[in-house]
Amino acid sequence: MIKIAYFDASIETPEEIILAANMIPIRLFGNPTIGIDKANEHVPPNHCVWARNILQQAIEGFNDDIKGVITTHGCDCTNREFDIWLECIDLEFIYFLNAPLKRTEIALKFFIDDIKELITQLEEKFNVNITSEKISKAIKKMNKIRDLLRKISEYRVKMILKGSEFHYLAKGVQQMEKNKALEMLEAKLEELKTQNPHIDNKLKKVLLTGSVIDDTEFIRFLEKLGFHIIIDDLCIGTKYFWSNVDESEDPITALAKYHLNKPLYSTKFPSFERFTTLKKLAEKYNINGVINIAQKFCEPVLYSHPYFSKKFKELEIPYLFVEMEYNRESYKQLATRFEAFAEII
Amino acid sequence: MSKAKNSGKMLNATNKLKNEMGRHFLAIEQAHRDGKPTAWATAGTPVELLYTMDVQPMLPENSATISAALKKSQNFIELAEDEGFSYDLCSYFKTNVGAVLSQADMSVGGTRKPTFMLSSDVICDTHVNWFQVQAERLNVPHFTIDIPHVVSNTTNRQRNYFKKYIKEQLWELLDFITELTGNEYDPEKGKEIALNSYNLGKVWQDVFELRKNIPCPVSTRDTFGGLFPLFTMPGLKSPIRLYKRMYKEAKERVDNGIGALEQEDYRLAFMGIPFWYNLRFFSNLERWNATIVYETYVYAFSKYTNPNITKEMVINNPVESMAELVLSFWYIYDLKTRFEKLKETVKDWKIDGIIMHDNLSCRPNACGMYDLKRKLMEEADIPSLVITSDMNDPRKMNETQVLNQIESFIEILRKNKKQ
Repeated sequence: MIKIAYFDASIETPEEIILAANMIPIRLFGNPTIGIDKANEHVPPNHCVWARNILQQAIEGFNDDIKGVITTHGCDCTNREFDIWLECIDLEFIYFLNAPLKRTEIALKFFIDDIKELITQLEEKFNVNITSEKISKAIKKMNKIRDLLRKISEYRVKMILKGSEFHYLAKGVQQMEKNKALEMLEAKLEELKTQNPHIDNKLKKVLLTGSVIDDTEFIRFLEKLGFHIIIDDLCIGTKYFWSNVDESEDPITALAKYHLNKPLYSTKFPSFERFTTLKKLAEKYNINGVINIAQKFCEPVLYSHPYFSKKFKELEIPYLFVEMEYNRESYKQLATRFEAFAEII
Repeated sequence: MSKAKNSGKMLNATNKLKNEMGRHFLAIEQAHRDGKPTAWATAGTPVELLYTMDVQPMLPENSATISAALKKSQNFIELAEDEGFSYDLCSYFKTNVGAVLSQADMSVGGTRKPTFMLSSDVICDTHVNWFQVQAERLNVPHFTIDIPHVVSNTTNRQRNYFKKYIKEQLWELLDFITELTGNEYDPEKGKEIALNSYNLGKVWQDVFELRKNIPCPVSTRDTFGGLFPLFTMPGLKSPIRLYKRMYKEAKERVDNGIGALEQEDYRLAFMGIPFWYNLRFFSNLERWNATIVYETYVYAFSKYTNPNITKEMVINNPVESMAELVLSFWYIYDLKTRFEKLKETVKDWKIDGIIMHDNLSCRPNACGMYDLKRKLMEEADIPSLVITSDMNDPRKMNETQVLNQIESFIEILRKNKKQ
């Protein structure tokens, strides 16, 4: 089957459209173990490290079965990189999906128009027919996946599932064929049901937020330093399965509404509303503290940090903000800061 | 390195700019005294609609440039950094945060608290984030206009619903202003403001047309210095008079074969925002008899560059025209269009080479610059140089290094001329 990759700094790409085209959606993630010298020939070194990392992978070439890429509107860096992708990579299909900045009725109409355009271009390029019935079927499948992920996520709260295990699972779902993902998640849920709490209760329970945190090794690193990621609001985590798509509505409208009704990302407006979500999560999960990670040069997160810092201080919730490079060597250099935070909370 | 010569001759008319700026600041003070609505606006937003709705605009990024020119920006930037804003964030933004924090006077880059804020992501996300930060800190409403991102393979079919989306938001903006201020949209006033804005942009373009002449009659200090009204006063009559004076004086120079530079050997284009804290830097070019004859940044804000948008359309349908115009100016151009436009510009303005500013504060502007340079050099044989600095933060400029780069670049141009 043809694979269509998507590059999304938030998570607003309607995978169902790709599934309805009888293709496999594959989310692109960074790889902190590679060098990014080729990307640096195209993008200045003070630009988002994560976006440059993915550009590097694109220049080096994806697997042969990936025939196209959808870049979904994120931040200035990911958006502006698109034209460089057009210059550098040789794929049959490359589309920029303009997921709107705002959350209004007008923005919803616009997003529907752009999803329809995506459908038209996929149909024209690959000679496929993406019908409403096929999209509805894909929505049902994805809703099952979201249901399962939500259930499994709660095993973090029950102290049965490590944050890193969940992260690995959620990331895997976004990169694998969805029937296989369903099977894997169903098996995992059954396995978890049989287990008793075993995660050390002394670990500090934290809410993880920030940029695209897609390296599971980083979550493991935090666990070693004494944290348990009990909940997150990451686009690779809870935002991927926050709620379900309405199965009773016109499928394209329902998909657009689903993506625009989820809690906001740091890349969208008004991003300060994210605090409301974080506050709710902090209260619901009775966390010990919040860790906010900015990948180096991640402007959206950098702009909101002082506001979050002020608001969490008002709530007397411990808050740690860390800006870091996208490579594993840099994690170690930050160990002291994380350890100190674990001590404080 | 040859010695620096006297600065290129500036137009007398440009000196009148201070009067225009004074008029703008007085209008802001007057609005505050009279309790009239005011708004902060980011560059690229339709300031004309604010004037139409009787809202006095203020553009904090222009105020930030004043801070830089008066060597005050670094202090303001450091104040913002003390508040937790990263060293890597936009220096205009941080200058504004610091200026507001220290209650700076407008004469040094301060601004008044507005009735509301108007931003857009047409140029950058920073504009939206900046006003979000300040709207929260100053407790004022904030309206933002979402401009779809145009890429090299955007189709005309897509552009049509992009325009529709923008147009609907502009009408939404007018409703927002009415709700907030009670001021209604007056179509007749809309036409008058649109006509003035159109005329302002066109006279500015006429000045640029004169710069095609050899020698170039207008220096970069005239154009960088003179662009303030394009941002802050589009829709008013007085800046049109100023630009007409600039045009008249420049035309006389052309008619008499007089250039801004006594000896013009190299004609350059400058891409990006200049270093406002060090505009004198450009005088260094005169050491090599080089002059800048075109600045993409300055030309961009003449706004009416889309040939499909006629004067009649602008006057008869100001809101609809604005939706189209915002999708067709330098700052929104995709890489492919930027390349094509630069090629045309180089030919029309008889340019020998392009200096591109990789502005540490402006990632969207810098992204794609390396590819653009490569394409210009490899596919169009246009010498191009990328220099790295910052528009408002003097800590990020290494003047000696940049000068050395430019000297080497001029050497390449010299060899090209000999061939």
